[in-house]
Amino acid sequence: MAAPDRAEAIRLDHLSFAYADQDDLALRDIVLTVALGEMVTVMGATGAGKTTLAKCLNRTVPAFQPGRLTGSIRILGQPLQAQGVADMAGIVGLVSQDFEAQLFATNVVQEVVFGMEQLGVPPDEMRRRAPRALAAVGLQGFEQRDPSTLSGGEKQRLAIAATLALQPRILVFDEPTTDLDPLGKLEIFAVLAAMRREGYTLVVIEHEIAAAEQADRLIIMSKGRIVCDDTPATVLARADFLLQHGVRPPDRSRVAQAFGLQGATSLDETEAALRARWNPAQQANAAVISANPTNTPATNDLSSTPLVEAQSLAFHYESGAAALTDVSLRIAARDFIALIGQNGSGKTTLAKHLNGLLHPQSGRVQLFGRDLRDLPMNTVAADVGYVFQNPDHQIFAATVLDEVAFGPHNFALGRAEAAERVHSALEAVGLLGLEAADPFLLGKGERQRLAVASLLAMRPRLLILDEPTTGLDYDEQRRMMDLLARLHSQGMAILIITHSPWVVAEYAERGVLMSAGRVLFDGPLRDLFAEDALLARAHFHAPEITRLGRRFGFTPLSVEEFANAIGDKQHA
Amino acid sequence: MPLFLYIDRPTALHRLNPTVKVLGMLCFFVAAFVTQAPVAALPVAALVSVLITMARAWPNVRRLRFLFLMVFVMTFVIWTLFFRGGEPVLVCGPVRISAAGLRFALGMAIKLDTLLGVGIVFLSTTKIEEFAYALTRVGMPYKLGFTMTLAFRLVPVFLDAGATVVQAQRCRGFNFDEGNLLQRMRRYVPVIVPVFMGALRRADGMAMALEARGFQAHMQRSAFEHFPFRRSDAAALLAAVAVAALYVTLAYFGYTSVPR
Repeated sequence: MAAPDRAEAIRLDHLSFAYADQDDLALRDIVLTVALGEMVTVMGATGAGKTTLAKCLNRTVPAFQPGRLTGSIRILGQPLQAQGVADMAGIVGLVSQDFEAQLFATNVVQEVVFGMEQLGVPPDEMRRRAPRALAAVGLQGFEQRDPSTLSGGEKQRLAIAATLALQPRILVFDEPTTDLDPLGKLEIFAVLAAMRREGYTLVVIEHEIAAAEQADRLIIMSKGRIVCDDTPATVLARADFLLQHGVRPPDRSRVAQAFGLQGATSLDETEAALRARWNPAQQANAAVISANPTNTPATNDLSSTPLVEAQSLAFHYESGAAALTDVSLRIAARDFIALIGQNGSGKTTLAKHLNGLLHPQSGRVQLFGRDLRDLPMNTVAADVGYVFQNPDHQIFAATVLDEVAFGPHNFALGRAEAAERVHSALEAVGLLGLEAADPFLLGKGERQRLAVASLLAMRPRLLILDEPTTGLDYDEQRRMMDLLARLHSQGMAILIITHSPWVVAEYAERGVLMSAGRVLFDGPLRDLFAEDALLARAHFHAPEITRLGRRFGFTPLSVEEFANAIGDKQHA
Repeated sequence: MPLFLYIDRPTALHRLNPTVKVLGMLCFFVAAFVTQAPVAALPVAALVSVLITMARAWPNVRRLRFLFLMVFVMTFVIWTLFFRGGEPVLVCGPVRISAAGLRFALGMAIKLDTLLGVGIVFLSTTKIEEFAYALTRVGMPYKLGFTMTLAFRLVPVFLDAGATVVQAQRCRGFNFDEGNLLQRMRRYVPVIVPVFMGALRRADGMAMALEARGFQAHMQRSAFEHFPFRRSDAAALLAAVAVAALYVTLAYFGYTSVPR
């Protein structure tokens, strides 16, 4: 709660809101006060009202996106009533997830001064502020760069600098790291920490626990309401409560819950609390796990013909930058592979070689022993399905049914056969009953599953998915990954590109780690997560539970595994 | 892929006042436009070549060489075939080619490539921000000028999205090269719809982000970069106007046209 001696930055009084075209309330009776200089993180499932809340703070709602608003909003003591969004720019800065849509200029300096020009800041003042804003986000020396040539993390930092230059007292971030790779996320969290020290008032909507840990308060929203508002340590410890509201709790909270540990709010404290209760003589049991991994790659049999095999691929783009250097990969019929690495490390380029979207400049790719260069795209597509990262790059049809039927139609399948395939694909992804629905009106998670269904209908032997969980909330991520696990158990080979450590650990069997166009590691996941130096080099880290287990000398891949390894002996 | 034709080089043309660049471009457009005969078109083309060299913009011409070639060949062929009048030098069924027609077609081809060249000189030396500035200086409302330049900036973005969509649909067995022209056009629906919907979504996101950055604030705008009007600007503008005036005069007295 706000200390009485601190001035109020934000005060929401019984704020409710419904978008003009919807009956349901997006926000329900929100009461919230944020003090000047406070950092508040907001978490919750998709549809909880987080983004609407953020947009209310700079008048995007309802001035830009109209609807029925009741209750009151005060910013720095002033009620928000008739202001336009632009009039709020120097008071409340809003940085959103989509950094591409926030950049308008041809070089970095122009981007930073754009807003200042709109607000009539004198040129001399702009010349003072621009370097400061760029320094605050670590983009000094980038002044003349074209924003389109920056990495995702750099683009998002530039969007932040452009907002900072307007000198708002309050900054609102709406999922600033969702579309970034691990290094990009770290860059943004570092900027947030610096801004917090500077005394900005920060409201941060995030799925990442790291953003919650930095905050003074953590708010959980659910179905338009604030269901919890407390210190991050207190809220993050409530594992069941978080799960119930669609937020993935930290692994340590679930460990603490399983073992009845009190007040363990960091990995160190959790380790200490466990050690106090755990007899080192029992470590033998942990060794059993490592020796008998539950998920070992199904086939390491080199004699059988692989499904897809890439041999010493080399590829560079027209710009001359090498994207792949001497990359080899064998994919067997029952593999579940996680392809990980920084953005720009060559993951997507490699994946596009596996179905012939790209052809290597040297080396070759074979499908069942036949060179992809000799096969028409249609033949390859029937065996290798590729789901692009953004489902909106493929969805075009008027109904869900037509969308899924597009693939079978292209293969000129018989009507009965096509109908049967569409039905079973929709069944697999849980969209049965929505055949007549307009795909563009579905939620992000449903569109992502529709994209999967449209490739499943072609009955591929290998399904490649580029970041299938990005932009989904925790429940939707689980749904997507459980779907892939089911397909895998039915005999499909799966390859996912992902940045999410827990997704890798809980679902994949084999890890392929890439960096700078080369494969750094290819083998069982458990072995990969033991390679601390390699992971650090590729800016990837094992999930929290794995890191905790490694302190006890084994490499668990899930909280359940960890609990079993330690719990069994405790009860014995 | 570099997004713009702009090439950052320290040349005298780059340093010109943006308004002068716009007006100068218009002058050369006029000069090129009023020519008809190759003898009249060639000096303008030569002048524009000098400008391209001064702007160090030849890499852009090389990038677009296919466009230059296509425009040249297509224009030449079409005007040769459709030119009416003059003494025929070759008659073959409905095809009738005259010496005047050949000269006219050559002049047209040079003229259109010259117009392209003028555009390249401008785009290679002018940042989008300068373009917007110049448009407001010649009387266009800021919002309109900014929107136009933003549209420029988005072209490569949508081309990029189009390429991704084509790949995504090829993964679903989509084949571009089947059927006749009409069937092919209909087959482009799976590409056009996602690109179009993406454009709408993006426009929406950008509009919100623009307002959050103060676009349309109820305040007097200021400008970060000030473009002084130097003596060199006056000289350049005078030269460009002189070229345009000379050519308009020549054209008025019929010296630039091909006699029928």
